[in-house]
Amino acid sequence: MNIRKGLVLSLLVLFAGTGFLFASGGQEEQAAPAAESLPYEGKVLHFAVMADQYADYIKEISSEFQAATGAEVKVDILGYVELSQKITQDYATGSADYDLATVDIVWTGQFEQEGYTKDLSAWIERDKEEIDYDDIVPVMWVMGGWNGKQIAYPMSGYANSLIYRKDLFEDVDEKAAFKAEYGYELSTPDTLDQLADIAAFFTRKDESMYGLVSNGARGSAVAQDWMEYMRAFGGQIIQDGEVTIDSAECKAALELFVQIFDDWAPSGAIGYWWDDRETAYRTGQAMMQQSWSIARSGYENEEISLVAGKTGMAIPPTAPGVDVGYGVGGWGVGINADSSEENAEIAWEFIKFMTSKEVMKDWMMNDGAPIRYSTLKDPDLNAEMPWLSNILNSFENGDGDYRPRIPEYNEIQDIVGLRVNQAITHELTVDEALAAAAEDIKAIF
Amino acid sequence: MYLFQQKSFDKKKRTLIYFLVPITVYMLVFFLYPVLYNLFIGFFDLKLGGTAEFVGLDNYRKMAGDEQFLNSLITTMVFVFCAVSVELIFGLAIAGLLNSENKKMEILRTFILIPTVFTPLVAGLVWKSLYHPDMGMVSYYLRALGINIGRGLIVERHLALLSVIIVDVWEWTPLMVIILLAGLKSLPKNPYEAAMIDGAGAVQLFFRITVPLLKPTLLVALLIRSLDALKVFDIIWVITGGGPGTSTTVANLRIYEVGMNQLQVGYAAALSNGLLVVGIIVGLIFVKFIYSKEG
Repeated sequence: MNIRKGLVLSLLVLFAGTGFLFASGGQEEQAAPAAESLPYEGKVLHFAVMADQYADYIKEISSEFQAATGAEVKVDILGYVELSQKITQDYATGSADYDLATVDIVWTGQFEQEGYTKDLSAWIERDKEEIDYDDIVPVMWVMGGWNGKQIAYPMSGYANSLIYRKDLFEDVDEKAAFKAEYGYELSTPDTLDQLADIAAFFTRKDESMYGLVSNGARGSAVAQDWMEYMRAFGGQIIQDGEVTIDSAECKAALELFVQIFDDWAPSGAIGYWWDDRETAYRTGQAMMQQSWSIARSGYENEEISLVAGKTGMAIPPTAPGVDVGYGVGGWGVGINADSSEENAEIAWEFIKFMTSKEVMKDWMMNDGAPIRYSTLKDPDLNAEMPWLSNILNSFENGDGDYRPRIPEYNEIQDIVGLRVNQAITHELTVDEALAAAAEDIKAIF
Repeated sequence: MYLFQQKSFDKKKRTLIYFLVPITVYMLVFFLYPVLYNLFIGFFDLKLGGTAEFVGLDNYRKMAGDEQFLNSLITTMVFVFCAVSVELIFGLAIAGLLNSENKKMEILRTFILIPTVFTPLVAGLVWKSLYHPDMGMVSYYLRALGINIGRGLIVERHLALLSVIIVDVWEWTPLMVIILLAGLKSLPKNPYEAAMIDGAGAVQLFFRITVPLLKPTLLVALLIRSLDALKVFDIIWVITGGGPGTSTTVANLRIYEVGMNQLQVGYAAALSNGLLVVGIIVGLIFVKFIYSKEG
């Protein structure tokens, strides 16, 4: 009898505790009553955000949005792999945990095909004037669209750039030594051969100086960095419906890529993700890297950079006969297809608020990335960030499709991430790695 | 009188059954259901969020020819064998040292458990920073001692698996110590006294008396650790992500990639069923030894 009493008592305590928790949760959802004028008072949205430089300020934007509308947008900052997996599972299972999510532009094909995010076209058309449609650089619209649907709204535009140590490139002694060794002037490289010469010249391992660095970690990191070089050689993973990753151009790209890790990069680069690569540059170990423009402001922040005031930014070099490449990437923001009508409408209001001209300008001063002409041409911002004209140039000539934004992109990236890593670690030869990658990719279709 | 006793017995029995209800429900919901569901979806071509098509044994046929999965199974076996063997040797040695009753040993016994308290994820992050090829303390001192670690412990193919085995040994040897220490403490004193009277030395005592008497405990410790090591995922995921190349891609990591990156949950379920079979075989081998005459 005592045992039974004990069990009953335990259950009561359990239910009371659970009830209390639910009651607390309910209070959170309902929030406190406030001014009558706020249209979305008490509403809560959840936003999955990629842990990039721009992420922290989104919390500030969220607070401003709450003050203006009453709706709270809870920001969940996640790493690249974690974000991809979490939102994909959320979308695929229809659980609608996140109303909003940052969308890498390479996911647009998959998201459209699977119906993961809402088509924003009707909203954009309705509010075209309010969002000042033409102020957003056209390539940004293209990157968030697929099959005539706008599945992600432009949020943060990135230009792929060659980042280099301007102070060393302008150093008189270095210039003289380079000319004596290679027979031409040291300047930002136009060709990949010049890039190789400069990388070799600045690699002085006994001084912990490394000429060129790339991501080497197996997975998305190494896959995406290798694709930059593939583009520079004029290679493509898929061309006219055929798998062409084992082409001569891709082979040349992989050979150069292997050489980066063998000869010019810090010893640990084979395990580098984006943040490791940036750290290698900011700590003065690496002299050059191909990187996204979102990281550019960070080089001037003396709290995290030892190379403040010493960085130059240029268009990445290409192989002879290959057009100058203006690689463009970045992040859009999508609304979960399973979000309720009401939440989706609030999410749309938040997107407009977050990407408005005024907010974008503030955001730029806090590690944001531009999407608008008005931001890129803003005199105040240009005074602070003289490199914005380079980014504008890249955007106006930009190519966001050198990484295939097709629905199968994630599987392709997985394959490339493994095979390229096997090549740089010499588990496979360049030919073996590309042949295996081609075979694996063909098996997807 | 008899009836009263019978009634009392039934009441006790009922009470005992009440106590068993929570664990039975727990096992049904959190163990049996997932296993059965996993077996079920292993027969389907199922992509997460997509439609399911019954494909019979196709996933298992594909598994038999899946070079990446088979290689990951071999890597898993190497990991299990090396990690558990070293843990057993170290565990036995340390348990022997701690097998005396004094204050110092009691304190040491408490401290030695610290690595086991770390969640593998945190342990992995700590070791990843120690192993960092450019800035890690371990890499620095190994190079300072003139040891050739190439580009770094976790970025060289021939060193990466060894590096994660070391982490596993660091984390789980204490568990082995505790199990074996309990075994050592339960051993009878008489055989030792008799052997010493007969002039047996320390080595003879260890191999002729301690090891045979400790055999059941050793087998249980090996069984627990082997099955646990077979499931390894987190420390490898955090430290190497399965690389460089495929050098640390264990079976669970491959299954995770297929299920979570490629969203091929039907095939991933079949792969995990394959790993389950391997686990059952390993378990049965140990159980056979434990219940054998010698055991």
